[in-house]
Amino acid sequence: MASNGMGRRRFTKMSAGTLIAAGAADLLGCAAGQPRPGGPGPTSGIGYFARFGVTEAMIAEALSAALSRGGDYADVFFQHRVSNDLALEDGAVNRAYTTVELGVGVRVVKGDQTGYGYSEDLSSAALKTCAQTAAAIADGPSRQAPQRFHVASRLPQRYPLKVPWEEIRPEQKLPVLDGVNGRVFAADPRVKKVTVYFRDESGAVLLADSQGRIVEDLQPMTLLYVSCVAEQNGHREQGGYNVAGRAGFDFYAPDRLERVVREAVARTTILFEAVPPPAGEMPVVLAAGSSGILLHEAIGHGMEADFNRKNVSIYADKIGKPIAKPFVNIVDDATNENARGAINVDDEGNEAGRTHLVENGVLATYLHDSISAKHYGVAPTGNGRRQGYQYAPMPRMRATYMLPGPHKKEEIIASVKKGIYCQNFSNGQVNIGAGDFTFYVKNGWLIEDGKLTRPIKDVNIIGNGPKVLEKVDMVSDDLQIDEGGWTCGKDGQSVPVSQGLPTVRVSSITVGGRGGKG
Amino acid sequence: MPGSQGSESSMLPVAQNAVALAQRKGAREAAASAYRVRNVEVQWRDGKLEKISEATTRGLGLDLYVDGRYSSVSTSDLRPEAVERFVEDAIALTRKLAVDPHRALPDPALYAGQAKVDLDLEDKRYGEVDAPRRRAIAQELEQAARSVKGAEAILSVTTGFGDTLAESFRVSSNGFVGERRVTDFGMSAQVSVKDPDGRRPEDWDAASARHFHALPAPEKVGRGAAERALSRLGSKKGESALYTMAVENRSAGRLLGFLMGPLAAAALQQKRSFLDGKLGEKVATAKLDLADDPLVPRGLGSRLFDGEGIAAKRFPVFEGGVLRSYYIDNYYGRKLGMKPTTRGMSNLAWKLGDKGKDALLADMKDGLLVTGFLGGNSNGTTGDFSLGAQGFRVRNGAIAEVVGEMNVSGNHLELWQRLVAVGNDPYPYSSSRSPTLVFEGVQFAGV
Repeated sequence: MASNGMGRRRFTKMSAGTLIAAGAADLLGCAAGQPRPGGPGPTSGIGYFARFGVTEAMIAEALSAALSRGGDYADVFFQHRVSNDLALEDGAVNRAYTTVELGVGVRVVKGDQTGYGYSEDLSSAALKTCAQTAAAIADGPSRQAPQRFHVASRLPQRYPLKVPWEEIRPEQKLPVLDGVNGRVFAADPRVKKVTVYFRDESGAVLLADSQGRIVEDLQPMTLLYVSCVAEQNGHREQGGYNVAGRAGFDFYAPDRLERVVREAVARTTILFEAVPPPAGEMPVVLAAGSSGILLHEAIGHGMEADFNRKNVSIYADKIGKPIAKPFVNIVDDATNENARGAINVDDEGNEAGRTHLVENGVLATYLHDSISAKHYGVAPTGNGRRQGYQYAPMPRMRATYMLPGPHKKEEIIASVKKGIYCQNFSNGQVNIGAGDFTFYVKNGWLIEDGKLTRPIKDVNIIGNGPKVLEKVDMVSDDLQIDEGGWTCGKDGQSVPVSQGLPTVRVSSITVGGRGGKG
Repeated sequence: MPGSQGSESSMLPVAQNAVALAQRKGAREAAASAYRVRNVEVQWRDGKLEKISEATTRGLGLDLYVDGRYSSVSTSDLRPEAVERFVEDAIALTRKLAVDPHRALPDPALYAGQAKVDLDLEDKRYGEVDAPRRRAIAQELEQAARSVKGAEAILSVTTGFGDTLAESFRVSSNGFVGERRVTDFGMSAQVSVKDPDGRRPEDWDAASARHFHALPAPEKVGRGAAERALSRLGSKKGESALYTMAVENRSAGRLLGFLMGPLAAAALQQKRSFLDGKLGEKVATAKLDLADDPLVPRGLGSRLFDGEGIAAKRFPVFEGGVLRSYYIDNYYGRKLGMKPTTRGMSNLAWKLGDKGKDALLADMKDGLLVTGFLGGNSNGTTGDFSLGAQGFRVRNGAIAEVVGEMNVSGNHLELWQRLVAVGNDPYPYSSSRSPTLVFEGVQFAGV
């Protein structure tokens, strides 16, 4: 926000892009976890963070300083996250990147105003300084802070690990990278370069607030990314595939690794046959799976309640109104086991479940954090998330997808005389107020007379959120939640998300090709 | 360090100790960067404070060279016992990796010859900007936005002011020690307006500078944001066609970035660059002429040395449309057998044209002015790109109807051969300092 005016941009992308660009030091958002490990005593809510000297007494003291100027609410968010990347290039796992993040943030809320301070130093004195900084958002008489805390009721377990990542040795991970590399090269002689990234992440968060709640959660994440470059008649193409989830080492079962290899090679080599995509408005069929990026951009961001509270979203006056065909149901769901976008609890300590954005074609519920929930007088939806301890939470998506509909994939494709079929995507973006959004198609097909005829590549699609939802006129029964490593960016914060879709037809949308009118 | 919390010790010993510790624990070579950053932000919305945030943070990054193997690690946990354990673990992990003969610290000869200039990147009066001042600027930004003609259509104004003081040290076991202290000040305004058709178009304006007194008046930025947002009212999709395309200076950096990324040595060595093998070739019209210049006083990308300690020097990137240099870092330079230039772009110094945006539009007569790209991407391996775009139709040399929800596509190897004009108006709030650019015969998709 300080350095430029891009602060309100919203985008999604495959995190792999970041991995390639930054090597190691990029942050992947929060994680989620496992049942709370037992604390040092039956009355203490502090388990994991006791190792850093964190005590209830120092939290109570910080909350007291936080409310010293009359804030309505305060919370303290501790985070410890260790991520390890191993990378293979030119046939060898010859580099590793480790990032350790340890810090604490103190937030004070007054109405819908926020004060925030943070530090890497977890001492009592540093915590108090953060609290005093955050307290300055309010200007009134001091409020009472809790002296005792109650542990939140038992959290769900959406990503229990059989073996924590700390116990997996490098010797166990290395063969995964080497194996994928060898099999990608073996799959097609046109492959010239292969890059493989393997990431595992162990995260822990502790949230304590002025209502006396204390919640601790352990949050794993893993990601495997493969990129390959192939050459044919002097022409080069690059493609890849990646899988991600809040899971342990057993995530990398043989069938998943087989799929990673197969998809990475197929998505690259088909590009040699691709023809330029057409330009202009035409029917577009979205394949089941990662096409959920459509929902993320066309409606998901616009339904984040902060934009509506501020009156700047194109959906700000549409709750309760029909916006799509009755068979369109869209949810944002924290509960999908082992999904990259799953959470047990949000970063404000609120229960996270499934929220209906669109129910039978009617706009149903915004995605709330506690500030917007209070503003609207509703219960929080568990969407208050943050990238890390340096950031105040705000409404964010988790796993966003459309529920199955009444049509069949085959009849949807057969219904299109001239259009395109979109399979894989790299990124998308939206303007919240105007409603215009885009998503970038890496692989797809031309549809001619109801059949997939020739592959296409590298084409951006642009539409307007509410208009496009009206034009979703066929929804198949084949919902897939994508297994890829999606990262969502908003106001400078990145969080991991998931998305999914059944096969869907949009009757008309602008395809940004250059092969003449479609 | 005025304005920060008391007297804080230097980060130099943190970096030095980390290198010494790494060598004691078995690394043959090591380099460390240690930083401390104070960051303050104020956000203001519709007549009141929205958010304040303030912190001083620190961290340590370490490149380890162990038995011919390499890893790069970082931590924000600087407790001495934690750092010791962290370095031990990192070295143990590095030993499990494959040997990489190309991994070594840069040749110390590359450290030599740092420019003897004061880049003036630190505003010594940083501490004079206090909380009431930040708040007053944020407030002024909003007032300016709400003072423009047509302001009754404004739905919401969010403004902000932020400043940063960053101090970092880089130390390597083969003799490099470098210090960098920089300040940044930035302001921004974002305005949403009500379109009678139900849409709520938005736009922004912003400014940033190394020195507080180099910032423009908040009045200008606030008004700019509101005028831009109001200009979006009644936006329509244009026809799919080939157009002459002018790209406003502040958006041109995005397009240019897709040309600069594939110049990185990593992209070349991994065969992921459409500019591989093009050194010395004409890849654009003669209008494309720019150098990488790290030594611009107060420049947003200025530096005396790069992230590896290599002394920063100006070098030509494109001369008269001919590609003259790649961005070669130490590691990929060794892999490719090429001499390092620098790792990553600093500032771009353009050979500018002699006309501003309005005169360029008058010259182009008919076409499209792009004032913002939305999403989209570019394939660095092939040069194919496809980007969402909004802006204005240009007719008879002047701005005509407002257009949006359009898309522009092409291939960079063709696009830059159609660059017909370069403005005299480099965008001052970005290190790429791009002027307005005009291209002929560009494919747009719309209706």
